[in-house]
Amino acid sequence: MIKLSNDRVIPWQPTVIAGPKQALLVTPETAELMIRKSKRPLLVLGPLVKEEPLLSLAVGIAEKWDLPVVTTGDAYKAFREKDLDSVAYGAIEIVNLLKDPEWVGVNGEGQHDLVIFLGCIYYLASQGLSALKHYAPHLKTLTICKFFHSNADASFPNMKDEEWLKYLAKMAGQ
Amino acid sequence: MIHLAPKPKDMKDDFWKSKDIKISIGEIEEKDTKKMGEEVPMGPTPKPHVTDLRSWDMKLLDRYEPFYAPFCDMCCLCTFGKCDLTEKKGACGIDSAAQQARIVLLACNIGTAAHAGHARHLVDHLINDFGADYPIDLGMNIDIEAPLIRTLMGKKPEKLGDLREVISYVEEQMSHLLSACHTGQEGSSLDFESKALHSGMMDDLAREVGDIAQIVALNMPKGDENAPLVELGVGTIDAKKPVVLCIGHNVLPGAGIMDYLDETGQEEDLEVCGICCAAIDVTRYNDRAKVVGPLSKQLKFIRSGIADVIVVDEQCIRTDVLEEALNKNCAVIATTDKMCLGLPDMTREDTDKIVSKLVNKEIPGALILDSEKVGEVSVKVAKILAPEREKLKFLPELDEIQKMASDCTECGWCNRVCPNSKPMMEAVVAASKGDFSKLQELYEYDVCYSCGRCEQECERDLPLMDFVTKVGEHFVKDEKFSIRAGRGPVQDVEIRRVGAPLVLGDIPGVIAFVGCSNYPDGGKEVAEMAKEFLERNYIVVATGCGAMSIGEYKDEEGKTLYEQYSGDFDARGLVNMGSCVSNAHISGACIKIANIFAKKPLEGNFEEIADYILNRVGACGVAWGAYSQKAAAIATGVNRWGIPVVIGPHGSKYRRLYLGRADKKDNWKIKDLRTGKIMDGEPAPEHLIYAAETVEESMPMIAKLCIRPNDTAKGRQIKLNHYIDLYKRYFGVLPPDINLFVRNDKDIPITHKKEVKDLLEEVGWEPREIPQEPSLMGLDGD
Repeated sequence: MIKLSNDRVIPWQPTVIAGPKQALLVTPETAELMIRKSKRPLLVLGPLVKEEPLLSLAVGIAEKWDLPVVTTGDAYKAFREKDLDSVAYGAIEIVNLLKDPEWVGVNGEGQHDLVIFLGCIYYLASQGLSALKHYAPHLKTLTICKFFHSNADASFPNMKDEEWLKYLAKMAGQ
Repeated sequence: MIHLAPKPKDMKDDFWKSKDIKISIGEIEEKDTKKMGEEVPMGPTPKPHVTDLRSWDMKLLDRYEPFYAPFCDMCCLCTFGKCDLTEKKGACGIDSAAQQARIVLLACNIGTAAHAGHARHLVDHLINDFGADYPIDLGMNIDIEAPLIRTLMGKKPEKLGDLREVISYVEEQMSHLLSACHTGQEGSSLDFESKALHSGMMDDLAREVGDIAQIVALNMPKGDENAPLVELGVGTIDAKKPVVLCIGHNVLPGAGIMDYLDETGQEEDLEVCGICCAAIDVTRYNDRAKVVGPLSKQLKFIRSGIADVIVVDEQCIRTDVLEEALNKNCAVIATTDKMCLGLPDMTREDTDKIVSKLVNKEIPGALILDSEKVGEVSVKVAKILAPEREKLKFLPELDEIQKMASDCTECGWCNRVCPNSKPMMEAVVAASKGDFSKLQELYEYDVCYSCGRCEQECERDLPLMDFVTKVGEHFVKDEKFSIRAGRGPVQDVEIRRVGAPLVLGDIPGVIAFVGCSNYPDGGKEVAEMAKEFLERNYIVVATGCGAMSIGEYKDEEGKTLYEQYSGDFDARGLVNMGSCVSNAHISGACIKIANIFAKKPLEGNFEEIADYILNRVGACGVAWGAYSQKAAAIATGVNRWGIPVVIGPHGSKYRRLYLGRADKKDNWKIKDLRTGKIMDGEPAPEHLIYAAETVEESMPMIAKLCIRPNDTAKGRQIKLNHYIDLYKRYFGVLPPDINLFVRNDKDIPITHKKEVKDLLEEVGWEPREIPQEPSLMGLDGD
C-alpha cells in the first residue's frame, strides 16, 4: 500500500502533488550543508512556530547560522519578544519579492540564493514554494517543517513531533 | 469654499430629490437625477468588447503584477499532453505563466457562467410570469437603479424586458472569453488576465441583472435599511414540524414553496429553511423562512436528518446530495437544468403522482423544472414523510461513537487530508475514551466545515461527519441567531450622505465581507473581523455565506451583530446586501459615489469611473473563505473597478494574485488631473488581490488597503490611526512602511505623532506634494 511504503515523502497533504518535479528528501546534515554552501541564505518563519518549544528552536537555528529572518503571518511579535530581529512580510509578499532576481534582499545585499521555510501554513507554503519552483530559478528552497513539501527543492520528511524536534535541535546545535 | 449640506439623517429619504439640493465641495458638485428616457452623452466604451478596456487592464497589471502560484505543474487540456510546464513550455507553446492565467480565465468564466445562467433563468422566468413590460422600480430613494448596466450598456433599464439585452450581451462576451481558453488561442499571460478582468466584469453585470430582476418582480427589500431580522441557526428550526430544506442560489423553488404554503394556509405547519444563498434570497422573499447557515453546514445538516425534503437548485450544492439524502430517507427534488442528478424529469407529471412515487420510493428523487409544482410537491412529500422519518435514528448515540472510535488505527490520514489539517484523529482518539470535547471543538463555528474528506480516507470507514454532527446536537439548541434580510442596493440618499466623508477619508472605508465558508479556522473569525471594523466606524457590508457567518456570533448580552448595529450604509452600519448576486451592489455603490457625488457620467464611461474608484473610494473586499469559481469571478470583477480584495489563505489556490511592489517607487506614479502634472504617488491601494495567512495579518492589511491618494489630511490621519493601531496590536510595533503613507506632517495621527515622527526621521522621509485629482489616466503610453 503506497501510504505505508513511502509515507515520509508523500506530501503531507497528498493532493498538493503538482507534477513530476519533487523535492529532495533531506536530513539535518544535508540541510546544514545547503546552508553552508549558500552565500545569501534567508530564514522564513511562519505562525506555526510562534509557540514553545518551536519558538526557541527557530531562534536557535537563526542564531547558530546567523541567518537574516523574515516572519510571516503574525509571527513577528512572538519572535520580537524573544529578541530575534526579523522583517515582517506576508508569506505571499516575501515570495513575490524572492521571485524577482533584481530584489535586493532583506539586508540589501542582493537577492537570496537559499530560502529556508519553517512554520508557514502548509497549503499556503506549498503555493509559495510552487511559485518559487516555477519562477525563481535563481534560488533554492529548503523546508524544515515536519511535513514533506514536494514543491520545495529540498524538504524534511513527514515526521512525528518527537523526531522533528530532534531534527530542529540538531540544526540549532543544541 | 466648502458648502456642506445639513446632515440628512432626520429627513425623509426623498428629501434631497424633492428639494433639488446641490452640494458643492471644491469642484465636486452634486447633480440632478437624470430624467427617465432622457438622452445622455455617451462615453467611449458602451458595451465594451473583450479588448475595448484592455488599455485600462494593462495599467492595472503594470502596477499590480500577476503573482502566479501554480496548483499543478502540468497542462492536461489537450491530447498533446500532459505537458510539464516546470521551466518548460508545453507542446502547444504555452508557458507556465500563461497557463496559470488561462486557468484563472477559465475559472472566472465558469463563475461568470454560473451567475449569468442564474440571471438568465430568473429574467426569462420572471418575464414569463410578470411580462417584459414589468417596470424596474426600486422605489423612491433609488434613481440610479442599475449603475453597472448604465455604465457598461450605456443605458438605463426601464423594464424587465430590457434585462434580456444585458444578459444577451454577457452571453456573447462569454463565448469569446471561453473561446480564448481553447488550445492555440491566447498566448500572453497579461492578455489572459485582461480577459479574466473582462470576465469578472461580465460576472458583476450578470449579478446586477439577476438581483434587480428578483428584487423588483418578487418584491424583495429595495434598499431598505430596516429590512427585517430573520432567524438564523439550526436551533431556530422546529424539527417536530415537517422540514423542507432549500440548498443553492436560485430563489424560485423556495418562493414556490412559500407561495404554496401561503395559498393553502399551511404557513404555520411547515418549516422552510435554507443553506447558502438560497437561504438568504428566500428570506428576502418571505421572512418566515429560516436560514440554517453557510455552506459549511451542508453535510452536517443533511446528516442530522432534520430535513424531510431537500430541494436543490444551483451552485455550491454537494454533488452527492442525493446519496446523502437517500441514506437519511429524505426526498430530493432537483429544480434546475444545472443540476439534474440523474433524476427522472417529472415536470409534466401530475403532482399527486410525483408525490406518490417519491414517498413510495419508486424514484430516488425527482427533477421538477416548474417552481410552482416544486412548492406543492415538496410540501406534500414533507408532510407524509415527516411522521415516518421521526421514528428513524439518523445518528449514532454517544456510546456507539465511543465504541466505533476505539477502532481508530491512528493512521493520521484524516488529519492529512483535512484541508485545514484539523486534529480529527486526536478528536476520535479522545472520543474512544469518552471525551467528546475535541469533536465539539471541531463542530463549533464550523471549524470543521464538513467536506467529508476525512471519512473518505478512513481505513476503518468511521462515519466521522456523523460523529461531529452528533456531538454538535448538544449545542444545536443554542444555535439561535439572527441576520438582517438582504436589503439589496444602497440608496442614492445614502450615497449622498456618505459620499463626501468616504471620498475625503472621514469614514475610513467600506469593508465588504463576501464569499464562501472555506475558512481556515471557522466562521467566528469573520464575525470578529466585522465587529472590529464596525467599532472603528467603517461601513461594513456583507453578502452570502459571509453575511451568515457574521450573524452566527453573539456578544456577552446574547445579541448578534445585526441586532447591535443598524442596517444603514453609513459609518458603523452593518449592511447585509443579500446573496452572491447582490455583490453587484457593492461595486454599484462605489460607482454611484463616482456618479452621484462626483458627477462622473456613467454611460459608456467605464475607465473614468474605475479610475475614480481606484484612486478615491476607500473600499476593500474581504473573502476570507472564498472557494468557488464564482468567488474568483467576483473578486476579479471588482478588481477591474479598482476595488482591492483580501482573501484567506486558501485563496492562494486560485493560482493568481495581483500584487503591488511598494519598494518600486516608479510603479506608483500618478497624474494629477487638476494640474496635468505627473507626480510620485504612494502604494494606495498597495495590492489588488492579496491572500493573508492569518486573520492577524489580514486586519492591518484591510485597513491599509482602504487608504487612497485622494484622502484629506484629516481622513488620512483617521485611516493611518486604524492601520497603526491594528498593526501595533498584532505585531507590537509601528508599521515599517508608514513613511510611504505620510505625505506631510498633517497626515500624522496625533495619538502616534512622536513615534511616527521618530520613524520618519530614521528613514529620511521627505514631505511630498498631494495630488488634487489623482489618476492613472494620461500617464505614459495612454
